[in-house]
Amino acid sequence: MHEIRIANDLSEIVLEVASNEKLSVVSRVNITFGEMVQIVPEIFDFAFREAVRGSIASEAVVNFEIIKIKLKCRECGNVFNLNGSRFACQECNSSDLEIIAGKEMFVKSIEGE
Amino acid sequence: MKNILDRNQDKADEVRKLLREKNVVMVNLISSPGAGKTTLLERICENLGNKMKIGIIEGDITTDRDGQRLKKYNIPIVVINTEGGCHLDSHSISKVLDLFDLNALDVLFVENVGNLICPAHFDLGESFKVAMVSTAEGDDKPEKYPMLFREAKAVLLNKTDLIPYTNFNLSNFKKDLIKINAQIPLFEISCTSGDGLREWFEWLSEQLDIFIKI
Repeated sequence: MHEIRIANDLSEIVLEVASNEKLSVVSRVNITFGEMVQIVPEIFDFAFREAVRGSIASEAVVNFEIIKIKLKCRECGNVFNLNGSRFACQECNSSDLEIIAGKEMFVKSIEGE
Repeated sequence: MKNILDRNQDKADEVRKLLREKNVVMVNLISSPGAGKTTLLERICENLGNKMKIGIIEGDITTDRDGQRLKKYNIPIVVINTEGGCHLDSHSISKVLDLFDLNALDVLFVENVGNLICPAHFDLGESFKVAMVSTAEGDDKPEKYPMLFREAKAVLLNKTDLIPYTNFNLSNFKKDLIKINAQIPLFEISCTSGDGLREWFEWLSEQLDIFIKI
């Protein structure tokens, strides 16, 4: 249920940005999560709704973009998307890998007027 | 683009810097409820208490039962009740650090709230994370919770003495772990019988040396 805490932090960012930008209503929040974060969009959306209840973002639509896990092999330099769940280089089979994408938790943009 | 957990990350960076200055290693211990974190801390206090100055932060959803169990070792312990929260965060750690005399500590163990998902995502400012699973939970955990098994610096498999009474398959567990993280050291232990603890304590002592020298 890490969705609840992350949704709370997101709501604070959204309301802060909206206030700085003098928005009267927030209509859409575009966010990016990496697959490693294991966010369940339905739970996240529910938690976000609770967090923004009664605010200018209460009707905002949350738009999710999910980023695939991308790995870089420290042995041969190969960059590849994780296929299945085995963390091993698809070229040289090394397990010495760096996760270069898939752990994101970003707010991309906030729309409103 | 703004990281949603920026606030947590900024505070974690602050905690890490402070502990670095004070030469204190912080170990973030993560497992399911009932895997044996508190029993492990009991064994650590008994076996390493005369070799290193230990402090403990006990994360609990409610009650101070785990803290009470550790009181007998006469070491500094602070209990954080998350009141429903399923993990600790860097702000809660930062708040309680003032309650320790950091100049009088070598290592601070954090017993995170029992949970394999949420704690893996929240940097507390620790030196490293340790993942713990017990045989009674089943052998399929690494693939289910890849973030934890990628983030941790070591895995403890506890309750190995119970294997004959469960359907836990050690070879399947190892295969599963290698799939997610082939490089992570695995320690097969029993906090009840004491099996395997010596190897784990040796590894832990080496890590403390490495982190203090960095």
